[in-house]
Amino acid sequence: MTNRYRSVFDIIGPVMIGPSSSHTAGAVAIGHVANRLFHAPIQEVVVRYFESFAQTHRGHGTDYAIISGVLGFDPADRRVPMAVDLARRLGIKIKFIEDQHLSPIGHPNTAAVTLINAEKEITVWGCSVGGGTIEIRKVDLNGLVFAPQGPLPILFVTANQPIGAALDQLFAANYRRPRVTHRLADHYIYQLDLLDRPFPEQLIQARGMSQDAILL
Amino acid sequence: MYETIADLVTMADQTQRPISELIIEQEIQLSHSSREIIWATMGKNLDVMIAAAEKGRTGQGVQSATGLTGGEAVLMAKYRAAGKTLSGDTMLRAVENAIATNEVNASMGIICATPTAGSAGTLPGVLSVLKERLNLTRNQQIQFLFCASAFGMIVANQAMIAGATGGCQAEVGSASAMGAAAAVEVAGGTPQQSAEAFAMAMSNLLGLVCDPVAGLVEIPCIKRNVVGSVNALTCADMALAGLTNKIPADEVIAAMKRIGQDLPTSLRETGLGGLAATPTGIKMKMKIFGEDVSIHSEAGPDEGRES
Repeated sequence: MTNRYRSVFDIIGPVMIGPSSSHTAGAVAIGHVANRLFHAPIQEVVVRYFESFAQTHRGHGTDYAIISGVLGFDPADRRVPMAVDLARRLGIKIKFIEDQHLSPIGHPNTAAVTLINAEKEITVWGCSVGGGTIEIRKVDLNGLVFAPQGPLPILFVTANQPIGAALDQLFAANYRRPRVTHRLADHYIYQLDLLDRPFPEQLIQARGMSQDAILL
Repeated sequence: MYETIADLVTMADQTQRPISELIIEQEIQLSHSSREIIWATMGKNLDVMIAAAEKGRTGQGVQSATGLTGGEAVLMAKYRAAGKTLSGDTMLRAVENAIATNEVNASMGIICATPTAGSAGTLPGVLSVLKERLNLTRNQQIQFLFCASAFGMIVANQAMIAGATGGCQAEVGSASAMGAAAAVEVAGGTPQQSAEAFAMAMSNLLGLVCDPVAGLVEIPCIKRNVVGSVNALTCADMALAGLTNKIPADEVIAAMKRIGQDLPTSLRETGLGGLAATPTGIKMKMKIFGEDVSIHSEAGPDEGRES
């Protein structure tokens, strides 16, 4: 029992542009995660596909779906089928690679999405597990590697001071597994794998004591 | 969370409430949302489903960008209207709406995934018949979707609902079983009868492979939804008549999972086996993509892999 599906709207939904919930709507969601983690102007996108994604991304519209997510579109946005052209017109360099290896995160519907600009580079390894639901199993933020368990929501908090205990107080009842802390030279990054979406007021409190809190 | 169908049936019997109500309660708890918001959201999903089927079966219908599929829901609508049919108006209504929905999906129109986009036509096909036969109100149609989602969530968590991991049995098979169970509830059957309908519908579609031509959600996906809808209705009728599956629903789900794991990769949404590998299927793929994408692909350096 994985309990990765926790809402009736994971099953009846999403409302989306076709043709495939895993290869289109799920791909939008993976692109969206990359977009939210990057939150800066994008110069270059590299999408690396594995297994089923590598074999069928063209037929399923996975290319425009991932780029839609990177641009921040909703899966039911009318612009979804035109996303690759729209992004190129914005001056974003885009490359798709069909990798013949097995998925490095152990799922046939895997895409690794890399976003680059002059200051930074991030890669998100996501898999689309069916019906539009995704998991994020690996994230590389400028060389710092995180390995979340997979299911969303995942909360990344960046702070200049140690706030682990305070985060535990806010979210521990909702932890999917214990908090992960990365201590860097001048700041801390906390990765929280959550069971359910946190209450809005909890997020406001987390933002209040940190530099940045990104909910995936 | 409800983890098995047996749990759902037991709780429904103990509390004398329908399965749709149990899952709404769970949703309120887990989503920190209200009943009104959850109900209205499901109502919007119903509207999307109705609009998609309508779009596919009226006027000229829709065509996919590849030109492989489209316009067949309209053909079926004309045939049904002429009245001289073999399977009768009721069954063909399901056929027409299932095809219409998946044609809209293939044409990149807006649909509601139930539980996936490839299987999006199955529940609308079932619902179109129930609405007509049982005079379902809008609220009863929403209740149908909640009940279907309760069963679908158990399949999704205990097994899988993606063609890439479980084959078509995990998509159309799951959708059909969800539709059968929910049809029993809105028709006034017992929770156990819902479970039997579910078990029969899923058992009937075990082993169904995912072999889309050119990797597109068109052939054979669109017409497989017809099988899903028709199977759901007949299994719901069997359960309401008192027939049982003998193998319990939860064990059928476990069997579906094992079969999915045993399926070779070529039959799990890679477009490499089954109908996709027929001479005509390969010809269609070459025509659309101008090359065989399974042969010409860049291996790429090994970056991004776990060391």
